[in-house]
This record gives sequence, structure tokens and C-alpha cells, in this order.
Amino acid sequence: MIPQLNFVKANTVLSAIKLLSSDKNARLIAGGTDVIPGFQIESKRFKDVKLLIDINSIKELKTIKRFKDRIEIGSAVTFSELITSNIIQSEFPLLVNAASTVGSVQIRNLATLAGNFINNASCADSVPPLLVYNARIEIRSLKETRQISLEKFLLEPYRTKLKKNEIVTKVVLPLTNKNVKGDFYKLGRRRAVAISRISLAVLVELDNSIIKDIRIASGAVTPIGVRFYDLEKFAIGEKVDSDFLKKLSIELGKTILKVTGLRWSSPYKLQVVQQMFYQLLEKVCNE
Amino acid sequence: MSKIVKMKKVKIKFYLNGEEFSLVTEPNRRLIDLLREDLGLTGTKEGCAIGECGACTVIIDGKTANSCLVIAGQVDGCKIMTIEGIVTNGKLHPLQENFLKYGAIQCGFCTPGMVLSSYALLQENSHPTEDEIKEAIAGNLCRCTGYKQIIEAVRKSIR
Repeated sequence: MIPQLNFVKANTVLSAIKLLSSDKNARLIAGGTDVIPGFQIESKRFKDVKLLIDINSIKELKTIKRFKDRIEIGSAVTFSELITSNIIQSEFPLLVNAASTVGSVQIRNLATLAGNFINNASCADSVPPLLVYNARIEIRSLKETRQISLEKFLLEPYRTKLKKNEIVTKVVLPLTNKNVKGDFYKLGRRRAVAISRISLAVLVELDNSIIKDIRIASGAVTPIGVRFYDLEKFAIGEKVDSDFLKKLSIELGKTILKVTGLRWSSPYKLQVVQQMFYQLLEKVCNE
Repeated sequence: MSKIVKMKKVKIKFYLNGEEFSLVTEPNRRLIDLLREDLGLTGTKEGCAIGECGACTVIIDGKTANSCLVIAGQVDGCKIMTIEGIVTNGKLHPLQENFLKYGAIQCGFCTPGMVLSSYALLQENSHPTEDEIKEAIAGNLCRCTGYKQIIEAVRKSIR
């Protein structure tokens, strides 16, 4: 059941922040696809919510804007809007790929990109692509407007740096070099409407079969989405023959195991993640 | 102990199947509650109540949504279509005719949602492939396992 609470629609970012600041039991709602089911299953995470502030009518948060060096996605932009955006399709294909695997059509029509990483479930599908695209988050409060990297924003499962009186207003994605190629892969227990068990994102820039730049991120298989900087450093300057890609895939498995520790699922997931990553790399590097 | 909240009623106005409605209701009511309990439109079904089964699918501003995940205040100013709105002058929509004709109904609980998801697909994409049909109805569960017939019914509705 939805608990007793109040509801208000904010029309500007400022009014949303003022409302948030005036009531410690207030919570923002955009798509509501985490909040409402959270109420239904009586999740502890939402038990204190007494006021919902709807941000869907704030025009500034509903836009996708292109600048010379970056694209800015408003925090109330839904997955469906993201998937059908020409700019996002051409500049950030991994994000479109990941967004297309989130929930069902009905969910994607409601759920927002920002809501996905603010909720910060381990399995948030948008996180690995956003991490390899070096996404930054703009956060506003009554006092200040600041930007931080998504990576620093995410703390642990279901926790971020967002304070109670703050709102995420946009996601800033720097445009990537045209020579960069990449892919996203999600493994779930079924093909549609699946919760990720393992997700991987990789971006590579090659110069005559030598890795000039590489970015690697995982989700679901790690407690939250993470980048693997040491592995990236290890790979830069190497030739992308199948021996090296195998070596890199084995290393990724070892690194993930270090992060997660041994679990009941490790014997299965370790091998799958290594094979998945190898196939992903091989496809991307031979495109 | 959490304190009891004194709820302030929300005043909303929306278009439902082409007709304008104004309502004053509690802020914690969901769209599906308004439809079924206040407006008597019981064609929209409640299954899981957490956005997984799609039985409560409606179309809001041209896009399908789970009406169990939307709360009253959020539909203010929206155009909503339910299964009751797909019928014109008492005549079934061709999709509905084909659901009947190709045996795409067993218990019928998923049917309103299936029809609306298919309707929204055909509005956006007049010639969907079989994979596109499957993707469009992936958020609608049928436990009588009639997916094959449903896909067939949608395919036959392509004009």
C-alpha cells in the first residue's frame, strides 16, 4: 500500500529545492518506478517519506542539449526519450544499448536515467556506460551548484553523495573522440524485462591495432558500477591480438574477484564474465 | 514510530478516453485506483502492483505506462486512454477482433494490457517486425502462455 503522504508538483528547480529543504521527510519523484514499488514492498528505504515532490513538470529537467564539447541530459528525461534521441544515438550508442534493456516499454516510458543511478542499485543498467563516457553530475542546493563525476557520486549500493536538500539537475557527457568504438553487454536470467546479473561496458581507441585508450566498467557483478583503471593502464600500448585479449579478460575476472570476494556464484560468474569480456573486446576491436 | 500524516487532497483534471474529468482525491491513491474504484472502469486489471506484470497498462499522453506506478497528482493535465477507450461507437477495435479471431485470449486478465501495448506499438510503428512486437509486449505477462496467438493477432492487425 502507498502510505499516507502528501504530493506536490514543482514547476521550477528552485521551488523543488525549497520544498526539499523545508521538510526532512520530503523525497523527489520523477518516474516513480523505484519509489512506488518500494512503498508496495514496504522497503525500509522509503518508510520515512511523507511528501513527494514531482519534478516532471520542470521543463529545464526534461531537455537533452548539445554543446560543442558535451551533451547535457536533464534529470527528468526518461529512458524512452533517451533511446529515441538522435543526438544520444549518434554520440553515446552504449547508453542507448543499455537503456533499451531497462525493464519494459511501460517502465522505460516512466523511469528516468538520473533516477536509475540515484537509486544506485547494483544492477542499474545505465551506470557502466555512463562510467566509460566519464559522466559528470550537476547537483543543486539552495547554497550552491556543483558538478562531480558519477564515479565519485556513487558510494555503495543504494547510497550516493546526494544530500536530502539537494537535487540532481543534469548528467553531463563529454563528447568522445570519433575513433572510439565500444559496446555494452548485459546478462540477465532471461532475455526481456530482466534484472542484470552481469553487465559490462567497454570503449576502445585503436591505433594500428595498438590500444591507445581503453575504458572498462562493470555493473551488477560488482557491488556498484565501477571503472577498472589499473586494468586500463595495463592494456594501453598493447597489441590487440587474441592472446592479449584473453590475458586482459582473465585479469578482469581476477580484479572483480578481488572486489567481491568469493561468493557462492563465483565459480559460475568468474568464467562467464571473462568469456563475456573476451567476446566484447574481440567484437569491438575487429569491427 | 512514524507519525500519521495529515493528507491534503489533490485536485486533478485530466482527459480520459476523450472525456474531461475533474477529481479531488487523496494524494496516495494510484491511477489504477481512480480508474477502477472512482470511475468504475474495471477493464484495467491489477496484477502485481509493482510494475512487472503489465495487467494495469494504460496509455498516458500516447505512451504506455503501468497505472499501478503512477499516483493521482501525476496525471493532472494528462490524456489517458484505457481499454474502454479503444472501442468506437460500441464497435471493437480491429486489434480486439483479431485477439478473438486468433484465440489470443484464455483467462483474459492480461488482455486489456496486451491490447493497449500492441495499440501503442502500431501507433508508433505501423509495420513492426515480430521481434518488435515481442519487445512491445515484453512488459505484459500472460500466464496462460498464449504469447504465440497474441503475436499472431498483432501481426494480422498490421495494415
